[in-house]
Amino acid sequence: MKSEELYLSLCEPDNSNHLWRYSPWRKVHPTGKVREIPTNYSHPEIEISLLDGSKVPDSLSIDKEDSPDKKNNFSDPVSMSFIESISRDSKFIFKAKKGTILEQPVVLKINTGSANSAINLSLEIGRHCEFELITLIVGKPDWFGLLRKGKIGEGSVINDVVVGQMKRGTLLRVDAINIGKDSQVKAGSISSGSDRTKADLRYMMDENGSNLRVLGSILSADKMHIDHHIEIYHYAPETYSRLDWHSACGGKSKTIGTGMLRVSNGSKGADAGQIFHNLLLSDKAEADSIPELEVSEHDVVGCGHGTANGPIDEEQMFYLEARGFSPDDAKDTLIAAFLNTTLSEMGSDKLHQWLAENLQGELRTLTT
Amino acid sequence: MTDNEAREVVGDYKAGWHDPENSTIRFDAGLSEQVVRDISELKNEPEWMTEMRVKAFKHFDERPMPTWGNMSMLEEIDFESICYYLRSSKATENDWEDVPEDIRNTFDRLGIPDAEQKWLSGVTAQYESEAVYHSIREDLEKQGVIFLDMDSGLREHEELVKKWFCSVVPYSDNKFSALNTAVWSGGSFIYVPKGVHVELPVQAYFRINAKNMGQFERTLIIADEGSSIHYVEGCTAPTYSTDSLHSAVVELVALPGAHIRYSTVQNWSANVYNLVTKRGIAHEKAKIEWVDGNIGSKLTMKYPSVILKGEGSHAEVISVAYSGSGQHQDAGAKIHHLASNTTSKILSKSISKDGGRGSYRGQVTVSPKAENCKLNVVCDALILDENSRSDTYPTMEVANPTARCEHEASVSKVSDNQLFYLMSRGHSEEEALALIVNGFFEPFTRELPMEYAVELNKLMALEMEGSIG
Repeated sequence: MKSEELYLSLCEPDNSNHLWRYSPWRKVHPTGKVREIPTNYSHPEIEISLLDGSKVPDSLSIDKEDSPDKKNNFSDPVSMSFIESISRDSKFIFKAKKGTILEQPVVLKINTGSANSAINLSLEIGRHCEFELITLIVGKPDWFGLLRKGKIGEGSVINDVVVGQMKRGTLLRVDAINIGKDSQVKAGSISSGSDRTKADLRYMMDENGSNLRVLGSILSADKMHIDHHIEIYHYAPETYSRLDWHSACGGKSKTIGTGMLRVSNGSKGADAGQIFHNLLLSDKAEADSIPELEVSEHDVVGCGHGTANGPIDEEQMFYLEARGFSPDDAKDTLIAAFLNTTLSEMGSDKLHQWLAENLQGELRTLTT
Repeated sequence: MTDNEAREVVGDYKAGWHDPENSTIRFDAGLSEQVVRDISELKNEPEWMTEMRVKAFKHFDERPMPTWGNMSMLEEIDFESICYYLRSSKATENDWEDVPEDIRNTFDRLGIPDAEQKWLSGVTAQYESEAVYHSIREDLEKQGVIFLDMDSGLREHEELVKKWFCSVVPYSDNKFSALNTAVWSGGSFIYVPKGVHVELPVQAYFRINAKNMGQFERTLIIADEGSSIHYVEGCTAPTYSTDSLHSAVVELVALPGAHIRYSTVQNWSANVYNLVTKRGIAHEKAKIEWVDGNIGSKLTMKYPSVILKGEGSHAEVISVAYSGSGQHQDAGAKIHHLASNTTSKILSKSISKDGGRGSYRGQVTVSPKAENCKLNVVCDALILDENSRSDTYPTMEVANPTARCEHEASVSKVSDNQLFYLMSRGHSEEEALALIVNGFFEPFTRELPMEYAVELNKLMALEMEGSIG
């Protein structure tokens, strides 16, 4: 079935489904008319380079793709088929040949411009690759959709960070990534832009020994509505995952973090955990967390989750102010430190430095 | 169903026998507006109650089944095959000897009158749709404590019932609260006057005896300013091959400074759907505690809730669930912090075994105006074999920056180290497992009256039999 047909055959999702509970599909859909599939969307610009500005080696490529969409059984069909339907002319494949090892992080910059658009990006990362990938989304559209699906090959070590810095509008982001045997993946999300973000990030660990860390540093202000849903599937023995999500919300913004850890029967030795931390910065801000667990295997190392919400610690504020920080500077420093807890885990020192500088700029803009 | 067949279905369920059905009134199976009006007429109720029942029935009829939880099990409920009213005795008796002999024997076997003499302030025993026995200690009655079955409560204290009935759980709250409001019968009505402390617990015992029976008791407890009460309920049913439905509504009102503790040991047989709405409102500095044990039933969906409406109020929910073969215990808690300086604590423990499924489903909210709230949620689950499952679905919605909220959950198996430690001290593997399980449930059992705690430990030991190997 073609994506358009699939999308139109589906019912509007019910809000009892946690994925759509806080951001109903009709509010995420670009026109709000859910039976409508917009046409003639523009093509965002894509650039790829290394972090120092140099060209990427030949073992990496990004090309247009014409082959039919591959389906998987762990994505939400509504959002996936919708992005596939509207991104017919913006379908790309990112390939990393077997054994690609890079010192410098790779930057994939997507500039949406000011028109609505969507990208359907397949990731094909070969076996035993080692590199870091930053996907940076900038622009001022009303609506942008990013679908990333694919596989990280056996034994690869990949740090994959997506930075959402659209100045306005709605960002719909859908990830569906298979984590290969014995691979080690860090999947980072940094969100500090767009009025509304709806992200549905899913990771399938159906091969033995894979290791996944999912990290989030979310900063919201004004009237932003930032909703991340993360599902991790342990469908093979000896798989390990940790989800660590830090959200700082100010203004009248709302952040939502919903997580689902599924451990299937037979995934012996699985070790899964998820933690959501929320820092509330203003009276009008709201943070919602739903960390869910479904465990069908008893022989696990452990499966757990936790959430913690709280304001900025007064003692920490006092400590910094006693050392000469103004209240605003002390507050900014503590917010930055809170977000840095997960930011610093996303990759190498080079990657971290770039992310920290980038986020510091955003922090200044959003909190002043 | 023969005894052996029954045993295969429910294992060693102790309360699975049934007595011959000697009903004095039995409605035909099926639900309609006429059935609802007939129940009301039979009870000679005031018009406002009849109208409320009818409105609730219409709401039930129009409202779809929940689109969450174990939908496949819910879809199996055949509302048309259920009997919505069955009375086995002519009246509610105050003297145990006046209760019909067959019913008396049932409760004797469950140990109810014995318990009353030893450690209770009052007892209500409900058999099918109606309370068959009711008593309260004289000294409490003199202090103005009202402890009646709900039907008598409506007759004798209509104004009080009218004021509070449906005030905590409106009939439109969910499909099953609508069903209960439409066809409720029995349950307890309690009013504790200002400043009165009921030292010993009061107890209600609910028994379903007939096949395809629906039990819809309604309980309303009002604790006036500065008073306190501990209410304990227990439930059992016989083992049949067809399903029964238990859909109760419990409303608690803790006025300023009052304290209500509501303890439940639910041990329905494995053919009972247990779909219950329990909610309390806590006013200034009041305290509501739900102590909730779920051992039996086919499907339980129960999320005791507290609305912390008054400043400085406190809520606690301690729950345990055991899910055996074919069982799904979908239990949890909901707490809404609407006022400042309110605190709450949820502790949930579950064990899944022999293919059973245990789910914790919880919701905690802090409203924008509720300053300085503190809440803590802990969920622990044990999975004892490879066919069982445990889920956790917690929701935390915080809209005030001064709130301090914590949630943690873990799912694990019984530790080999603990088993080895106990076995090296002379326990068999089975005994060791039972001890570990009792230890796992200990935070719950220590909150129960001693007799219930002992009973629960025995029940759990029975459930654990044969779980090794």
